[in-house]
Amino acid sequence: MKEFEMQESGQDRKLRAKVGVYICECGPNIAGKVDLDRIITDISELDDYQDVELVVKKYGFLCSAPGKEYLEEEINSNGFTHLVIGACSPRDHDSTFMGVCKKTDLNPYLYRIINIREHCSWVIDDKEKATVKAESYIRGGIARVLRQSELFEKPLDINPDVLIIGGGVAGMEAALSLSSDDRRVFLVEKTDRLGGVSIDLSGILPGQGEVIGKKIESVLGNGNIRVFLNTRVENVIGFLGNFEIELLSEENTEITEIMSGAIVVAAGGTLFDPRESDRYSYSGSDEVYTSLSIEKMFAGDDGAVLRSGKQPSSVALIHCVGREEKNYCSGICCSYMMKLACFFKKQSADIQVTEFYRDICLPKKNDQERFSEAQAAGVALIRIKDISLKGTNVSFERISGDKDKQSFDMVVLAPALEPSADTEYFADLLTVPLDEFGFFQEVHKMTNPVGTATDGVFIVGAAHGPKGVSDSMQFARASAGQILTRLIPGEKLIPEVAVTEISEAYCTGCGNCLEVCVYGAIYSDDSRGISVVNEAVCRGCGNCFGSCPSGALRTKHFTNTQLYREVDEALR
Amino acid sequence: MEKSSEFTPAIVGFLCNWCTYAAADLAGSSKLELPPSFTVIRVMCSSRIDHNLLLSTFFKGADGILVAGCHPGDCHYGEGNYYARRRFALLKKVMETLDMDPERLQLSWVSAAEGKRYAEVVGEFTEKIKELGPNPIKNSTRF
Amino acid sequence: MSQTGNILVIGAGIAGMKASLMLAGASSKVYLVEKLPIIGGKVIKNEESFPNLECSTCMVAPIQQDVLQNPNIETLTYSVVEKIEGSAGDFSVVIRKRARYISLTDCIGCGMCYEPCPVSLKNEWEENLIDRKAIYVPCSGSLPNVPVIDSEHCLRIGGGEDCSLCAEACAFEAINLDDSDEIIEVNVGAVILATGSATFDLSSIPDLGYGTLPGVYAPMEFERLFASNGPTLGEITLRDSEKIPESVAIIHCVGRREQKYCSAVCCMYSFKFARFLKHKIPSVRVFNIYSDICVPGKSYQSFYRSVEGADTEMLYTSSIGDVSVSESGSGLKVSYPDAAVSPQSLNVDMVILAAALVADPDVAQLAEVAGVDLDPQGFIKTVLDGSGSMETSREGVFVAGTAEGPKDIQNSVVQAESAAGQVAEIMTSQASSS
Repeated sequence: MKEFEMQESGQDRKLRAKVGVYICECGPNIAGKVDLDRIITDISELDDYQDVELVVKKYGFLCSAPGKEYLEEEINSNGFTHLVIGACSPRDHDSTFMGVCKKTDLNPYLYRIINIREHCSWVIDDKEKATVKAESYIRGGIARVLRQSELFEKPLDINPDVLIIGGGVAGMEAALSLSSDDRRVFLVEKTDRLGGVSIDLSGILPGQGEVIGKKIESVLGNGNIRVFLNTRVENVIGFLGNFEIELLSEENTEITEIMSGAIVVAAGGTLFDPRESDRYSYSGSDEVYTSLSIEKMFAGDDGAVLRSGKQPSSVALIHCVGREEKNYCSGICCSYMMKLACFFKKQSADIQVTEFYRDICLPKKNDQERFSEAQAAGVALIRIKDISLKGTNVSFERISGDKDKQSFDMVVLAPALEPSADTEYFADLLTVPLDEFGFFQEVHKMTNPVGTATDGVFIVGAAHGPKGVSDSMQFARASAGQILTRLIPGEKLIPEVAVTEISEAYCTGCGNCLEVCVYGAIYSDDSRGISVVNEAVCRGCGNCFGSCPSGALRTKHFTNTQLYREVDEALR
Repeated sequence: MEKSSEFTPAIVGFLCNWCTYAAADLAGSSKLELPPSFTVIRVMCSSRIDHNLLLSTFFKGADGILVAGCHPGDCHYGEGNYYARRRFALLKKVMETLDMDPERLQLSWVSAAEGKRYAEVVGEFTEKIKELGPNPIKNSTRF
Repeated sequence: MSQTGNILVIGAGIAGMKASLMLAGASSKVYLVEKLPIIGGKVIKNEESFPNLECSTCMVAPIQQDVLQNPNIETLTYSVVEKIEGSAGDFSVVIRKRARYISLTDCIGCGMCYEPCPVSLKNEWEENLIDRKAIYVPCSGSLPNVPVIDSEHCLRIGGGEDCSLCAEACAFEAINLDDSDEIIEVNVGAVILATGSATFDLSSIPDLGYGTLPGVYAPMEFERLFASNGPTLGEITLRDSEKIPESVAIIHCVGRREQKYCSAVCCMYSFKFARFLKHKIPSVRVFNIYSDICVPGKSYQSFYRSVEGADTEMLYTSSIGDVSVSESGSGLKVSYPDAAVSPQSLNVDMVILAAALVADPDVAQLAEVAGVDLDPQGFIKTVLDGSGSMETSREGVFVAGTAEGPKDIQNSVVQAESAAGQVAEIMTSQASSS
């Protein structure tokens, strides 16, 4: 069961190691509960290591400003090859002492902080036992640090440009937020125009059309945004800071190669087809419309009228179409349906307008007005437990349990917002997972909603989940915020240092590690028949290590050899 | 009050950096009493733990091993703890074939806020191992 | 050409911390000013956050640690901004660093100073459910883990008495009873307001019994009750009686009619509470009294469906604004109108009110200092140019999170990232024009 050991730190092979062991008194917190002098004596007298010199001292507060200066001075004057600090939790001060090392010639990965406070002096009352334990931890730390390797930051050059997939409101907002003289934006749209679904929504609220129109003008007129219409994304390889993309023009089947540092997926959504549900059955000749069609009608010259051109005398607006079927609420329909209801009333006060809803969902701080406006306009609002449709005949169950039927001249349905048809294609292309609804999966619903497991690929707008125009633009700006603060023109990225590597000699190319890596940091090198870790993407979690049957993986800062040293000491 | 033996079990705990190690720190800053025979070893994720490491730890004489990570769904690296759980279940089976008591290996989920629970988990596991007695491998000629 | 230049972020909740980290990562120097002695905002008061019921500490502690350890972020806790003068790109800011009386560098958080303090009073951070001393940290796990002395109630500082028991107990000489406020003046290029929100004043609806009937709880009080680091260490026992409730009614939409908006998060946290209760007390009966369920977005409805039936009974009322709570024997009676039948009532041991999110009471003062307009609901207004801009009425000053309006954590973070992006743009154009 010998674990593969790659070349350990060159230093402890060639040179005599000199390990500085500094124990922080932390006032009575450590010094009062642990016999530090005894530990210093015991460790100084250790003869476990050949060719290793130990310098063991204690100090008041190593994390204080004078403490850090003291450490820096000690490292420099002693020429330590390794450093061990017995103090508090790494979560408190690991970065503090790493910072000290960085000021000296000592590689910060040849240092270790040992927790003898939270895990020792604070939890063991008996001084003798606490002393023995602290000493054991420190000895384990020394044994381990000697097996650690020098690791170096590998700053990466990055391309600050951005590829935006989708020219709807989210894509355009991202493009306008990101583009500048030192950051180009490539905005790729599969259809022949920008604006996405918002074009169809651009007619009915005052000023709405103008806003969208101006946005399109701004985008087209911006010299730093290159717009590709009738174009699809064919291929993507790379990682944050370094993506290589192939674009295919539908018109002339030409491939254009571009490079970018980030990709914003603004591929939009689509509407649920109500006929996929048993609840709603109607044919193309029935006067049953989706809300989007009605929006288009209201934007036109004739308004929302029947196919014959006549005004409907009664209209049913049915909310939540697809809510139960999909098991999520799209969040925007109540608001726009009340808007549409008012529009019908404005079109003609004689139209009997009835809204059927399950719950009123108006989460925005200014939307409650929509409800009162609809009521004031004389719209009937009926709360239902369930509803079904045959042509324009509506059967419904009220909240009281009473069942009822009503026929209408026209029926308008508010269908759920679904992921667009392209979502699966992009998920595959960009190796971004999809959630249970088919939308792109964000890294973390709360703390990182626009990021994906493929760092550098961001999801915005309806591609992330059902949302309206303003939220889509907000998400777009959030992705811009991440890109603007992380991919800075002229500056390099510093990826995680304590990453994993794969030994060519031991790797059989089985691909287990590749499959378990959620970050896609491992790829297959077919020419050598092995798997390879992309150190620019690896986060150092070690999940791959647990999956490898050949012992070919080496989690550089957490090797089994290093961990065995701690185990060894613990079990003495 | 304690059981018969003078036996103090040597237990190794592999704690994930983001959740359990933080809980252990919280137990520390809350000054909860923890058995000195329990040694904490920090890893970045519970998924890092592989069979070699665990079996070697037993062979070196650990009476019990506790592996602890984030609750399912809370893994800092997405799904690491799910993999840990699966590997763990497999290892328990392997232990049986090696005539080792799988009860000596425990996988627990402890979140960063659960300082008190961490202390309880460690305390209960220590008691359990005390009752199981010393790891027979220490005197075994098989390995 | 890196983005240099200073930025002021007011409020160290999730939005403020996220924005600070992003901008610090872009080499900006960030002054993060927080009025409380600790950072983390409201999220850290929840044991778990919806929709995944993820441990809030696990989620936020790494962010808090990053903020405190980031060399580009100067976190000024227990501080307030008194002046913001100047204009975008060049603001002169005056910050009052209130006297904490304990040195942030010398104190190591051992906690030896609490016990000797003779003053005991209600801990406001713990919603007055437990006492604290005049020298205190709000909760276990506070960051920074350094206490503060409540100068008003301290015998020495507030009362002029000769007491220095805390200082005497400190082995690190970290306590300075002669500390005083410090005024700091800084120059920044942009400001982000991320000062959060408050809970609707429940005592303004006497019919709900909050403040008069001990069994009626505000949402934050219940969060603290359930919290494992809270006043009861996570045990759900009623104040005064210390009984474990056998039945609980959660009333939705409290304050919606008065505020004229839906706070968008209350239904979700109401279901979270039902889940908490059922998990902690398997035999408890929980009732959610509601009129409209607002669970927008892809992640929320499935949680609602999993709680409905399994953890709680959903009781519809035709007029959620007309629910009332009264005393009934040793328990409570909840009365609610139902359009179908005559008014219903329910006997329970405990009532939790799902209260609206409202503007923080200090926001008017902040708006004056920051020179920004408020909207009719009292929140900080954005320019509303139809592009999702987080800029306020004052150029160079941005807002993010619930300071702008009620929203969940996800949207607070999205706004923080948007604002950070807009600030980064300003700083770049500053750098290139200078």
